[in-house]
Amino acid sequence: MQAENIGGKILSLMEANPGITVKEIADQLLIPEDQVESTLASMSDTRQKVLIVDDEMDALMSLKVALEAEGYNVAEAKDGHEAIDKVNSEIPDVILLDLMIPGIDGFEVCRQLKSDSMYSHIPIIMLTARGEIDDKVEGIELGADDYVTKPFNLKELKARVKMVLRRQEV
Amino acid sequence: MWNRKSKWNLILFAAVVLLLISSIFFLWMKTNIEVRSVVEEQYQNQQLLLTRHIAGNIEQTLNERVSLLEVIAKKDTGVPDDNFESDLKSVYEIAGLFYVVEYVAENGTIVSGYPEDNVPIGFNLYDNKQSRAFEYVKNNGEVYITDPLRLMEGNYGSFIWVPVYEGNDFRGAFIAIIKESDLKDRYVIVSNSSSYAYLIDERGRILYEGNQKYMRGALYVDLFGSNASGLQEVIADQINGTEGNGKYFLLAENGTTYEERLVSYSPIEWYNQKWSLALTSPSSEVDRLIVSVYLKLFIVAVVSALFIVFVSSFVVIILFNWSKSLEQEVDEKTQELKMSNESLRAANKKLKELDRLKTEFLSVVSHELKTPLTAMRTSSEFLRESDECDISIRRKMLDIIIRNIDRQSRMVDDLLDISRIESRRMKFHKESVDIGKAVSCSLEMLSSNLNNKNMDIQVELPENLPRVCTDKDKLVQVFVNLLNNAVKFSKENGSIRISAQEEDDFVSISVSDDGIGMIQEELEKIFDKFYQIDSTSTRKVGGSGLGLSIVKGIIEGQGGSISANSEQGRGSTFVFTLNKVIYNEVSE
Repeated sequence: MQAENIGGKILSLMEANPGITVKEIADQLLIPEDQVESTLASMSDTRQKVLIVDDEMDALMSLKVALEAEGYNVAEAKDGHEAIDKVNSEIPDVILLDLMIPGIDGFEVCRQLKSDSMYSHIPIIMLTARGEIDDKVEGIELGADDYVTKPFNLKELKARVKMVLRRQEV
Repeated sequence: MWNRKSKWNLILFAAVVLLLISSIFFLWMKTNIEVRSVVEEQYQNQQLLLTRHIAGNIEQTLNERVSLLEVIAKKDTGVPDDNFESDLKSVYEIAGLFYVVEYVAENGTIVSGYPEDNVPIGFNLYDNKQSRAFEYVKNNGEVYITDPLRLMEGNYGSFIWVPVYEGNDFRGAFIAIIKESDLKDRYVIVSNSSSYAYLIDERGRILYEGNQKYMRGALYVDLFGSNASGLQEVIADQINGTEGNGKYFLLAENGTTYEERLVSYSPIEWYNQKWSLALTSPSSEVDRLIVSVYLKLFIVAVVSALFIVFVSSFVVIILFNWSKSLEQEVDEKTQELKMSNESLRAANKKLKELDRLKTEFLSVVSHELKTPLTAMRTSSEFLRESDECDISIRRKMLDIIIRNIDRQSRMVDDLLDISRIESRRMKFHKESVDIGKAVSCSLEMLSSNLNNKNMDIQVELPENLPRVCTDKDKLVQVFVNLLNNAVKFSKENGSIRISAQEEDDFVSISVSDDGIGMIQEELEKIFDKFYQIDSTSTRKVGGSGLGLSIVKGIIEGQGGSISANSEQGRGSTFVFTLNKVIYNEVSE
């Protein structure tokens, strides 16, 4: 939320003063220069944004590298609370959500996002090591758009991400 | 306690007991009656014997007295000169019963007698018109005895007329008078008030009656009038001159109850006088005689009844106790069943819990195994597809793969250990181990971890610490796991302290940290498989959740014990014991 406000403020400052420098913006908004730069970078990034929520660093890192190589802008979150915050600040185009995450678990995160009208349009692909039917059913009932079981086939995952994004565009 | 059925049983039982008791009392009554009738019969017979005896006595006495006169009257020598005076005197004296004896000459004049004072000499019967009896004996030649008549002196007496013959010639008659009072004096029966005697003549008139007042010449029957029933029959028998026993009922003085009287009678024949003597006594006399028998029989009956009551109550108590003990047994069995039910339920619950734990275990294991696979697969797939990727990314991906392979194999090792521990198949190659060496070995293995967090390690082992008998590799594993935990749950620059001390037969070793610690509820579960204090912390620190379970299994598998102490925010301490090396084991 804060990040979004900062983005809005930077934009309005740039409109009012076309020649304004990053340093001037940072001084006026009382925030560090690099934050202004990263905000500007993210605003100018036109790539589609994927939010990966997983507490296993290695799994997260490898997936992040693979998706970035594919041309996605990747945001990451390690637990449920961080995931909600990241959704608020980054507004991702798709969320890859692991079920077994600390804090609020994946089901709860999914439920909260899908019941919030601002974010309910964001497709969610559930990722989990558990493969029981019950989990699938629960995930789908809560509004998850897809469901991938760990360890997943990378190609398949990429295809599914592409698919839900295309569905979203339509 | 008593259900309806046993209540009925009890009533039935009581009825039987009552029946027995009443039959005993019935028998008692019956015996009483029989005894009474026998005793009554005996009593009456005795009374009859007595009556007969008395009657015979009277009869004999009277007849003898008359016989004396007859003897003189039958003298063949005729009328002596003194007109029998000396004879009469002798008779009077011998008889001792006569009031007077007189001689009446043929012409009806009293000519002599004895004692002279009582003899009206010269009194002529014909002149005084008292010749009826004289005429009678003169005509019949038989002794004649009158009914009691009033004497000139005022008393009553019987006149005995004895005709005097010389050969066949009538020579007058003797008169002898027996005063009623004399006779009474001689034969009055001295007895208690309840029995008395009476004497009646052949017409039923009273001659003597023990204690009633009566008019002279009254009929005995009239004495009681309608107050007596059954008396007429007795009197009729008496008038007939028979001997026997009888009963009659007499209305008591209070006028409501009848008194039964037993009467025995016997005839007295005195020439023409036919009398009947009777002894009468109340039947209560019989009761008086057998009252002790009654009492004894009653005691016997009461004792029998008490005996029956005692025995039956004894039986009731036995039955009651029996049913009570049966009930108790049933209760016990029910209780046992309940308990076994409960234990079954508890076992079922436990099994369900175990099943749940197993499912959870499988789920956690699958998660733990699949997570590194995911990282490996993603990384390797990426590497295969991206040939021209940056060398640093390539290296990063390969590192991920290698790290996860290590993690996977550690996981598999841990699972195998747990499996061995749970099936008690874990083998310990026991040897004499120096704790200090094991500690330094494990610290070496963890050096990178320790350095990353810049941990301060204090090893405080006493110099003379005995060696322990344990599996060296397993001991190192224990240290590694405990130290790993300590590092994981410590902040940077934290300190870990390892100390040991000798206690009896074993050595107690403690590993403590000043990390985040735990609360009591967590402390109770930390040795459970896959227990995660909080999934956050587990993830943060990374771990299978099996480390402490394996430590516990290793320590307890060697006969030691392990415990943990912790306070939130102050760090945790794990203390475990290992057996000391005993001398002969070292020599082996």
